[in-house]
Amino acid sequence: MDYITVALPKGKLFQRSVELLYKVGYSADNVTEDSRKLVISNEDSKVRFIITKTVDLPTYVEYGAADIGIIGKDVLLEERKDVYELLDLKYGRCRLMLAVPEQMQRPRLTDYAHLRVATKYPNCAQEYFRSLGIQTEIIKLNGSIELGPMVGLSELIVDIVETGRTLKENKLVEVDSIYTATARLIANRVSFKLKFDRLDKLVRDLRKVLDEEEEQCK
Amino acid sequence: MLNNKALQVPYGTRDVLPGEAGARRIIENKLASTFKAWGYDEVVTPTFEYLDTFAAAGQLSDSSFKFFDRRNNILLLRSDMTTPLARLVATRLNEGPAVKRLFYLANLFRYEETQAGRQCEFNQAGVEMMGAAGPSADAEMLALAVASLQAAGLNDFVISVGQIDFINGLIEAAEVTELQAQELKRCLIEHDVVRLEALADGSRMSPEQKDLFKELPFLHGGLELLDKVEACGLNNKSSKAVQDLREIYALAEVYGAAGYLRFDLGLLRDLDYYTGMLFEGYAEDMGFPIIGGGRYDTMMENFGRSCPATGFAIGIDRIMLILSRRRQLDNISSWDVLVAWQAGCLPQAIAQCMRLRRSGKTVKLAAEPFNQSEAVDAQRANACDTLLYIED
Repeated sequence: MDYITVALPKGKLFQRSVELLYKVGYSADNVTEDSRKLVISNEDSKVRFIITKTVDLPTYVEYGAADIGIIGKDVLLEERKDVYELLDLKYGRCRLMLAVPEQMQRPRLTDYAHLRVATKYPNCAQEYFRSLGIQTEIIKLNGSIELGPMVGLSELIVDIVETGRTLKENKLVEVDSIYTATARLIANRVSFKLKFDRLDKLVRDLRKVLDEEEEQCK
Repeated sequence: MLNNKALQVPYGTRDVLPGEAGARRIIENKLASTFKAWGYDEVVTPTFEYLDTFAAAGQLSDSSFKFFDRRNNILLLRSDMTTPLARLVATRLNEGPAVKRLFYLANLFRYEETQAGRQCEFNQAGVEMMGAAGPSADAEMLALAVASLQAAGLNDFVISVGQIDFINGLIEAAEVTELQAQELKRCLIEHDVVRLEALADGSRMSPEQKDLFKELPFLHGGLELLDKVEACGLNNKSSKAVQDLREIYALAEVYGAAGYLRFDLGLLRDLDYYTGMLFEGYAEDMGFPIIGGGRYDTMMENFGRSCPATGFAIGIDRIMLILSRRRQLDNISSWDVLVAWQAGCLPQAIAQCMRLRRSGKTVKLAAEPFNQSEAVDAQRANACDTLLYIED
């Protein structure tokens, strides 16, 4: 039997994903975020884990370097890779939103036209503003987006929030929510066909676990 | 220092080096002779066409390379081969047999982010069969697809087979709006199972219909799958599609190709191009499909000659990549003989070369005089099996 290679993203989805996969029999010793090993194999259950940087994960899966992976919908929307999006795992909930410094708030969304927007999500931001008919200048940053307005790099930011605390600390207010994202199970197009029986079972098992967990929460 | 670009090639293009180019030629020749053996005739069409030709076929996309000619017509580097062949058959091939069987080996151009084995310029081998409807033509496509991939050196591939009317039938039965229908189809094309579920759940379909839509991407299997879906209570269109697949499969068995086939009832490759059976093929060591095709009965009417048609295209670069990953590429960058010569013996050396070539050997002639030991080195450097040294 061939190995199933699972890509896991570093960061906030990591721990929960490892736990969830463990429950459906996808596990290996020492799958930790700071693992020194780049590839961690479980020879008995023929599963192999690779741990990747978040934005790179869809690329590994698209190319078939990993058969499946777990990644936030926000990354999928931004990266636009051709992969199977098989299951909404419901955790890792976050929002992509538009925020401005408190003193810059304006009555209507269209009042923000022709301003500069700092974001890690240039494609999603572009599409959002286009849908509103607002022209803006998008500035791509790779982190600390809140810094943009503070130092005059941009007037607006488009960024992911979970709790909103960072916004408050930096005297930013949310003016519009662009979308809500959760973790997704994705699969390579070819792996899904060639390893269909195992991946089909994985999806059904995960569904069952998620349903049970939801039941317990009630 | 030279301008940096002078030494580079544009984004999405590449050189094919000695050895690799030879290996590609071998694969192309194997495919061409397979197509020929199955009754197909080679055609060559222009590398660029009027944009109008692709627009008429509904095959315009943002990703084609476009430019102007001197009369300000917009030209387009061909981004698929079915459109030029449809134009060719409609306008140039009015005589001869009613069923046209054609094949091509061509480079295509699409401006998109490069993928494994799909640069902006890439190579396809494919066939089109115009004027033939029904399971016999569809089964021939599948069987020829299998034979072609085998000829190219693959044996462990899988071909997923779907039928667009199965999906269309489900959509009809669900009585969704045209917009919803398009969105459902788009989810299948983009492999977005999560959104497909949300759309089904949010529609006014019956619970059974919702379940069927949600199951669509997971409807993989053999003949037993067809029995299973027929038990779900299909409408006329979907049942007919299943029946069509059964007939195609029965013929594929006769061809000995059925072992490679697997039904995949959620398979969809393009929004409104395919009109019947369609398929896609996959192999280990390649994360992208290596072959795709199907029936497209409405394409030809765009060129004023309505007739049924079916075909497929193989991604040559992807086949090459698989074979090279498996170290199975034929290496033909070697020769039988190096003819080396001592100063003053060139005429005799040339005569020997020509004699050897006439006898069917592949021969390199040393480009400058060598002494005996230089000749031995040169033989090795030139990948020649033997050395013929000419001296007084």
